[in-house]
Amino acid sequence: MRYYARKFGFYLVALWAALTLNFFVPRLMPGNPVDVLMAKLAQRGGTVDPAARRAYELLLGADTSEPLFRQYLSYLGNMARGDLGVSVSAFPAPVSQVIADSLPWTLVLVGLATLLSFLLGVVLGAFVGWRRGTWLDGLVPATTVLAAVPYFWLALILVALLASGLGWFPLMGGYDVVLDPGWNADFIGSAAYHGTLPALTIVISSVGGWLLGMRNMMVSTTAEDYVLTAKAKGLKDSRVMIRYAARNAVLPSVAGFAISLGFVVAGSIITEQVFSYPGIGSKLLQAVQNNDYALMQGIFLVITVAVLGANLVVDLLYAVIDPRTRAGG
Amino acid sequence: MTDLGPATVAPPRGRAGWRSMLPRWSPKLGVGLGLIAVIALFGLLGPLFVGDPVTIRDLGLTPPGGEHPLGTTLTGQDVLAQLAHSTRGSLHIGLLVGVLATLLSALFGIVGGYVGGVVDEAFSLFSNVMLVIPGLPLVIVVSAFVPADQRGSWTVAVVLAITGWAASARVLRAQTLSLRTRDYVAAARVAGEKPWRVIAVEVLPNLLPLLASQFVFSVVYAILSEAGLSFLGLGASNSSTLGTMLYYAQNGFALQREAWWWFVPPGLVIALFGCGLALVNFSIDEIINPGLRDIPRRPRAEAVREPAPAARTDDDVVLTVDRLSVVYQVDTPVHAVKDVSLTLRRGEILGLAGESGCGKTTLAYAVDRLHRPPAEITGGSVTFHDRDGEDVDVLALRPEELRAFRWSKLSVVFQGAMNALNPVITVRAQLEDVLITHRPGMSRAARRARCEEVLRLVGVDPRRLGSFPHELSGGMRQRVVIAMALLLDPQVMIMDEPTTALDVVVQRGILREIMRLRDEIGFAVLFITHDLPLLLELADRIAVMKDGEIVEHGPAEQVHREPRHPYTRRLLDSFPSLTGERGAFVRSGEPAPSGGAR
Repeated sequence: MRYYARKFGFYLVALWAALTLNFFVPRLMPGNPVDVLMAKLAQRGGTVDPAARRAYELLLGADTSEPLFRQYLSYLGNMARGDLGVSVSAFPAPVSQVIADSLPWTLVLVGLATLLSFLLGVVLGAFVGWRRGTWLDGLVPATTVLAAVPYFWLALILVALLASGLGWFPLMGGYDVVLDPGWNADFIGSAAYHGTLPALTIVISSVGGWLLGMRNMMVSTTAEDYVLTAKAKGLKDSRVMIRYAARNAVLPSVAGFAISLGFVVAGSIITEQVFSYPGIGSKLLQAVQNNDYALMQGIFLVITVAVLGANLVVDLLYAVIDPRTRAGG
Repeated sequence: MTDLGPATVAPPRGRAGWRSMLPRWSPKLGVGLGLIAVIALFGLLGPLFVGDPVTIRDLGLTPPGGEHPLGTTLTGQDVLAQLAHSTRGSLHIGLLVGVLATLLSALFGIVGGYVGGVVDEAFSLFSNVMLVIPGLPLVIVVSAFVPADQRGSWTVAVVLAITGWAASARVLRAQTLSLRTRDYVAAARVAGEKPWRVIAVEVLPNLLPLLASQFVFSVVYAILSEAGLSFLGLGASNSSTLGTMLYYAQNGFALQREAWWWFVPPGLVIALFGCGLALVNFSIDEIINPGLRDIPRRPRAEAVREPAPAARTDDDVVLTVDRLSVVYQVDTPVHAVKDVSLTLRRGEILGLAGESGCGKTTLAYAVDRLHRPPAEITGGSVTFHDRDGEDVDVLALRPEELRAFRWSKLSVVFQGAMNALNPVITVRAQLEDVLITHRPGMSRAARRARCEEVLRLVGVDPRRLGSFPHELSGGMRQRVVIAMALLLDPQVMIMDEPTTALDVVVQRGILREIMRLRDEIGFAVLFITHDLPLLLELADRIAVMKDGEIVEHGPAEQVHREPRHPYTRRLLDSFPSLTGERGAFVRSGEPAPSGGAR
């Protein structure tokens, strides 16, 4: 139980840190973003009512007489209510609405691609590590090339080859625009078709890291006594590899998930941009280009919460697969 | 948060290990250094030889050739000239961030890990929070708030360093924690040296390979992230990098116009440079964790199948080892076991004594063919004489036959049996594994009954079946391992230092258990230890091994009374004299210090 309590406590602290960072970053930076936003809002025919201005000021900071701490408390209150302000670029939609529209795209794309890449990397890594000293060792340096390739460049190359060149996949977008989004076979099929190339980009770029980590751990684990014992027990090779070696070797990969997830999220944002994918990464960049600070901040928070949530889930899973965590701290 | 795992934890190393910290030369390292050198030179010197990268010419999108070896951009700028200047820009940012991030991670990781206490808790919490907050979105947000004209390369570098140090700090902290407990660091601390001095003189040198590896990571991270930022149009305004090039290529529709010469080279330079650094990192990893070194692939020498498997001389013998040789096929081959011959009789305990490194464990492994490369059996034979009259040539068994032979005829209790149990599955699963594999027809209930039976045999409560290894005491784990070895009722049990890690009382209990089981069940034991006096009490016959050879072989009584080889005499003399009678587990006074024969 202590393990769970500590994990929840840690992620609460991390969430609070992210919210605080989000509060202070715009206040520390030069410029007056509130005025920029209000001007944009006015341009778009928005009513510049005091409430909207107040919401922006809380979010971005302004030269008001209100003490910083009061601003901070009101800001936290707004966040707790899910009030992220009004988007300028998608006026009059509130930021939360814009995010709700694009988030599912990213969650599905990045979620599935990450899962796939993790499984693929771990399985291949376990195999390469187990069959050490064979030709499979040659795969290891090859994966580093993949890991060193920038996501967006790989995306460009894939588009050039598979989309423009061979015409196997669509150039961009998340679905065929003639279709209406909804839960029907046509639309889901189209979304899967459009998502293949972005997903492929994420998988190819991130699989090397998982593979290498797993392979190295596998090499260390094979030297453990319990693996030797398992062999002496006359167990089948596959059983020794999976239940004894890989089962232990995978633990650090799971524990190090947080680090890798950061890279995947970063890569995905840029990948979405290349494919003009209707996800949250493209929205973030649109927000940046339009100085839509409120939307930008909101998306940053949502991405952070999603990443924290994913890490929390992985940490809870870790407790399931490593009995030792449940016993001690 | 949990540690990154043992992959990053170095084996013990003294302070005089400078040579061991230099990477070993390997093709990977050569290629890596070559790639880095070529690209670094290109970035450093290239801009001096190519023309002005921004000159606009009236020959937009010319394919490579002639005056422009890599073609031109949409506005007729020379791609090669741009590439040279951009490479310089990217390297500049990469180095800057690499240095900054490594400094930050060293500060938070090493200092925190060394000082410990509240500081460590705070630093570690801070690193972990920074680690889980996604870096690039934060960088994008920060860059977006900084007006473009104030966004210099220093700003970008600082922001990237701040978002990129945390993972390294965690790795460094884990390693510092382990270094802190080493004797020489503890000695320096006790001697009253100032903390910064201990860190600089004792800790830092041992962290160098790790620091180098983290620096390399930071540089790769920085170049990739900066390229991403620039590609999004959020990079430094006053510098041109490979990312900026790609940004212009993308916005100039290079892809749609199939101007591959415009967008392929910048990405390729990044990929090759990153690849070069990663290859160098491989070599650094191999210093940190020597276990990762490549195993040289060499044609396996065919073992001299001579002498032929020993024929059964009398029914009393269960295992014959005849002139067995094992060689470690490293650069200068090590002959670890030289022409060793042994016979093991049914139901007897044969003691094999010798110092660490004398080859006794290698011999034990080779008997069950558990030796791993580079160890190789170069000659001799191992024959198992089955109870039912069959003779098994162990070295000639095919893989599937060997698998079936193992444990059902011959089981092994390993050295340091504390680690012989898989930490993440229950005792029951580890016991049942054996029955599921070797007795496929056995019912679930029968399997469970058998597991409970063997646990009772060694004096462990069968309710412990549901426990994980870490929930058992050392002695109990050892008993479980012995129970596991009994599961299939083997005729031979090899025990390699089965009680070394246990305290004396527990050790005695377990030895008594082994004797009792041997009397009840009647298996033969090959008992390996460095502790000769222990063998005098326990074993029926004793073999003494030195430098891979058996120098003495005879009944325990005889070895004790009239040792023939001077080495045996030395071994015997290095212990306090014994007054206890053979077979009784009573020793005079305190147990013999085991250090004497190590």
